[in-house]
Amino acid sequence: MFEKIFQFEVFNNNDLLSVIGLIFGILTFASLLFFAIGKIKPEWNISELKSRTRSWWVMSFIFIIATMFSNTISYIAIAFLSFVAFRELYSILGFRDSDRYAILWAYFSIPIQYFLAYIGWYGAFIIFIPVIMFLLIPLRLVLKGDTKGIIKSMSSIHWILMLTVFGLSHMAYFLSLPEIPGFENGGRGLLLFLVFLTEINDVLQFTFGKIFGKRKIIPSISPNKTWEGFIGGLICTTFIGYFISFLTPLSTFEVLFASFMIAFAGFSGDLVMSSIKRDIGVKDTSTAIPGHGGILDRIDSLSFTAPAFFHFIYYLAY
Amino acid sequence: MQKYILQFIYSFVLRIFLKLIVGVKFDDASFLEKEEQFVILSNHNSHLDTLSIMASLPSSIIERVKPVAAGDYFGRNKLVSWFSRFFINAVLLERNGVSKQSKGSPLAVIEKAIDEGYSLILFPEGTRGQPEKMKTLKRGIGIVLSKNKHVKYVPVYLDGMGKNLPKGETLIVPYNAKIKYGTPKTVVSDDSKEIMTQIEHDILTLKAELH
Repeated sequence: MFEKIFQFEVFNNNDLLSVIGLIFGILTFASLLFFAIGKIKPEWNISELKSRTRSWWVMSFIFIIATMFSNTISYIAIAFLSFVAFRELYSILGFRDSDRYAILWAYFSIPIQYFLAYIGWYGAFIIFIPVIMFLLIPLRLVLKGDTKGIIKSMSSIHWILMLTVFGLSHMAYFLSLPEIPGFENGGRGLLLFLVFLTEINDVLQFTFGKIFGKRKIIPSISPNKTWEGFIGGLICTTFIGYFISFLTPLSTFEVLFASFMIAFAGFSGDLVMSSIKRDIGVKDTSTAIPGHGGILDRIDSLSFTAPAFFHFIYYLAY
Repeated sequence: MQKYILQFIYSFVLRIFLKLIVGVKFDDASFLEKEEQFVILSNHNSHLDTLSIMASLPSSIIERVKPVAAGDYFGRNKLVSWFSRFFINAVLLERNGVSKQSKGSPLAVIEKAIDEGYSLILFPEGTRGQPEKMKTLKRGIGIVLSKNKHVKYVPVYLDGMGKNLPKGETLIVPYNAKIKYGTPKTVVSDDSKEIMTQIEHDILTLKAELH
């Protein structure tokens, strides 16, 4: 039973171990750097960076424990992430009282979607939210009989589902992909590749933007998104993707393209979430992660990069 | 025995459930451990209100804090009434004036609990209202506080509970909610009306801080 749930082959896999080591190496470097800056230049206010780094430590630990040791726990953990993200977005968007039951149905679709990923039923997994929930949510709303503002509810509920459940559930489906002969890292390797590149891209775009940022891309949406940050992140992420390409079964050219795509999709996700926050007039979606804001502020890019990278690799390798 | 059961239910099971599933963000309430005796006064929108406040309390003081509950509902028969007294630690109050069983003022049960040294959780609106809207506060607790000046009151604002589980609904639909504690205050005035105005102002100030 224990061996069935927990797998410790990650300790025999040097590819996975070296990337996990790289993650903690970067975190150690960042912590030491900010500690030194705090001592040498106390007048620079870097408390936000420090709390961001602390949160990165916590998130990295949780991610690695949740995804590297047990497949069963991974599905549950990613499903829970979807649930929290869904709840966060639902709570800030503002719905009518009569939308409660449709929202409840949407909540129930989360375990179903992840169960479909768990049993590896690809056909159902890929249409459940885009097709079935797309039809069921309006039906539930109509049955309630409140038509004032029903279009907004129909579209926003489905849109939240696509962003927080459908997009993120691709992370879980990596673990259900069949084994490819000669490629040992499997779904875990691909998942680590995706999440590491997405998050490092966020960090790099943030860093380049802070240091070199001058020309704003879309000032009406976010003053922090600059061409310098975007291009710096794009180039570095593509470069890093090339270096950890051993996690994937892709050729050099394909891995460069995939990394470039992750950087671009991550940027888009970030931008889309910023525009929503602009629309409803909040700075962060909640205060769940110190220094970062809400869960959504952290996973906005993942919900774009996960399906993009998944379908790229699914087409090429599976 | 009851103390440990209450601690297990509220400080452990319900706290985890409310935090992870319902999405309640708890405020730090450890300062209450230092208070001798207090009355928590909050807005009221949902059955989750009492449970959330209980779960937010430091576990060491949980059995000396009694929620004041409506006798006509939480004491509608002997079994329910025993259940409310044991598992919610409730003081049962007759809402519709003087009822058949109780003699004298409905406030007598509250005053008795105060005299016995218990702290209380009370919703001065009297009943659950519309989410985000406050009703006129009932004066009862103002009268009790003006007579017991050593008892402080703690204003609390609950945000989003009425979206999680509104009045008349039986299913919880998770929604990010918050509990916000104000600082404990002593009553100075003797006029219950004036006290209630002050309390209403304190709760609404907390609401303004959240939004």
